Amino acid sequence: MKKLILAVAAAALSFSVAAPLWAHHSFAAEFDPSKPVKLTGTVTEMEWINPHSWIHIDVKGPDGKVTNWMVEGGSPNALLRRGFTKASLPAGAEIVIEGYQAKDGSNRANGRDITFADGRKLFLGSTGTGSPDDKSEK
Amino acid sequence: MQNRLGSLSIAWTKIASMALLAVVTAAAQTIYRAPRTGDGKPNLNGIWQAMNTADWDIQAHAAAAGPVASLAADFAIPPGIGVVEGNEIPYLPAMADKKKQNFANRFKDDPEVKCYLPGVPRATYMPYPFQIVQSAKTILISYEYDGAVRSINMGKPTPAPVDSWMGWSYGHWEGETLVVDVTGLNNKTWFDRAGNFHSDQLHVVERYTPRSPDVLMYEATIEDPKVFSRPWKISMPLYRHVEKNAQLLEFKCVEFAEELLYGNLRKKPAGGK
Amino acid sequence: MSNRFFQIASATALAAVVGIVVLNPAPIAAQTPSTKLLAAKKEGAREKASAVPHTPNGKPDLSGYYTNASAVPLERPKDLGSKEFFTKAEADAYAAKIATKREVVAPGTYGDVHYNMAQFGLEKGQSKIPESIRTSLIIGPEGRVPPMLPAAQARAAARQAANRGHEFDGPEHRGLGEQCLLWPNEGPPMLPEGYNSNLQITQGEGYVAITQEMIHDTRIIPTDGRPHLPSNVRQWLGDSRGHWEGDTLVVDTTNFSDRTAFRGSSENLHVVERFTRTDADTVKYEFTVSDPSTWEKSWSGEVLMSKIDGPIFEYACSEGNYGMRNNLSGARADDAKKAAQK
Repeated sequence: MKKLILAVAAAALSFSVAAPLWAHHSFAAEFDPSKPVKLTGTVTEMEWINPHSWIHIDVKGPDGKVTNWMVEGGSPNALLRRGFTKASLPAGAEIVIEGYQAKDGSNRANGRDITFADGRKLFLGSTGTGSPDDKSEK
Repeated sequence: MQNRLGSLSIAWTKIASMALLAVVTAAAQTIYRAPRTGDGKPNLNGIWQAMNTADWDIQAHAAAAGPVASLAADFAIPPGIGVVEGNEIPYLPAMADKKKQNFANRFKDDPEVKCYLPGVPRATYMPYPFQIVQSAKTILISYEYDGAVRSINMGKPTPAPVDSWMGWSYGHWEGETLVVDVTGLNNKTWFDRAGNFHSDQLHVVERYTPRSPDVLMYEATIEDPKVFSRPWKISMPLYRHVEKNAQLLEFKCVEFAEELLYGNLRKKPAGGK
Repeated sequence: MSNRFFQIASATALAAVVGIVVLNPAPIAAQTPSTKLLAAKKEGAREKASAVPHTPNGKPDLSGYYTNASAVPLERPKDLGSKEFFTKAEADAYAAKIATKREVVAPGTYGDVHYNMAQFGLEKGQSKIPESIRTSLIIGPEGRVPPMLPAAQARAAARQAANRGHEFDGPEHRGLGEQCLLWPNEGPPMLPEGYNSNLQITQGEGYVAITQEMIHDTRIIPTDGRPHLPSNVRQWLGDSRGHWEGDTLVVDTTNFSDRTAFRGSSENLHVVERFTRTDADTVKYEFTVSDPSTWEKSWSGEVLMSKIDGPIFEYACSEGNYGMRNNLSGARADDAKKAAQK
């Protein structure tokens, strides 16, 4: 699935003549690029579902209060093909999420980058091609 | 003396032949030999459908008014003698309230209303046909309702990696019977529109046994230690669609559920907020 | 004497029961052969299977799991003109470029609002892609979809115009994919997707079933020569009928809904597909699309389907469609913000 560009996100044509072979929906409509978030939390549940997986985490605020967030990931099917299972991200795992918050202000974010607390990539990490865009090299 | 022995002999012969008939008839009734597929298995290919009201309520139930008064008799609730063996669903005491709650809210909370996938065994007795396409390594069951589909793997079982709506199915043959072991079912489906439910610990074992050329006998044993105190069973015949050119059509009900699912998020007309 | 009769009768019945059970052949535990990557062919490490599998009734057996992913675009890049085929070296270089292609995105821009595809194994280069030396899936010297007829262009333009400014008004404005009604890869014709581009073919007696991973729709194609559905019955995926021409399964699909709108098509869309097993691991998939109300001529393409280890995993779409709710909710929040600013 190709990444979105601003122009297409804005247009969001329903019946495009040159129908792209991608993009069943626009993330930029769900999440606000001006609201980046970084969350550290404990996994309460991962929904291994389609069209996107969702990871629910308990995030402890500076005031000690715990709020539950849900974070959007990709389709899990390719992971399942590689032998991942629901045990691969159990409840209790500590993860760090960088992403963008929902436009409607709710505790939802798009998981731009997800790592375990110790820095390991969540599932497959980088493809190892050393692309300069690959943020895992940070 | 001679007569008594003679009549005794005749009596015994009668009893013996009746017993033979009973044994042979019983044998014939329990073991109908279906035609074979090219790889020698009972041939279950075809379009099948249950003919009961189990989708409304798997237990015995009388007719009742439907939820929409203006639709009156068209959409009233039909009666049924039930498909649960013993007519009892052995909920754990702690779970009985949940069933009552589901029933009270059934026209809102039933996943079927939202066109969600029906799970197993409910898919079998939805009021729509389904088709079995049988190859050697997999038996596909395609349901007209919402294009639900299951692929029954006839190889060596593996554990389900995640839960899904239609489960993780492995099959094997026991004589004339296809036995399907289903695990990996999520906790989001119901057994019927009456609110009978289960947890993600649900384990279903199905048995499909040809009874005659156009009838399959279907049994499903249901086990869920989180919800039920013991396993329980449903059973029903499945009838072949014998009409010429029988075919599954599309019942892609997702579009029919759109207003229900998203109507409250629709943009209000100008003048409103 | 009577007792003996009874015993014989019981024994006979028992023997009959036992006999019937014994007649059933033992199930054959067949194992799917492990699939090797096509790349192994380069090293000469594997020979092509010489025999194409057949079903017991003599037809080529198409049953199995396949990927129809492709590095080849549907339409030929304009700079390649009429060049229909790459050399092997050119094809390899092109495929490698596609596999590592990544768009540069700046933080805080719309393009950055996306999950990391590589983490989930969803980048193109992370899955098996059948090799091809074609420059486009559409075959022939032009390699592009023919021009649309003026009436069809007008039809498409009207649809776009009607939706402009209303893209987030309600679910029906979001597009068939986001509504989980129909996805562009489904067709027919079935086209490659960027990820999860997989399908399962199950061949039973008199039918061939094709289940696509996304979004779990199944076409069950009868091969008994029956006619199509009556013309007043229109379906999202049309109505398919199959027959064998030698070792090729030919599938004819009509009765499309006009809402299918495949690249702007009308209800007169007509698709012919051809499935030919070229070896134990490959099915060549050819398609011809015609619609006298949309394109001035028909157009054809070819996709290679390559065997993969199963299974296909469930892709329940509507059930997990948080995205639709979230998009509309976000749009309503935007509306409220705009209204408050007035």
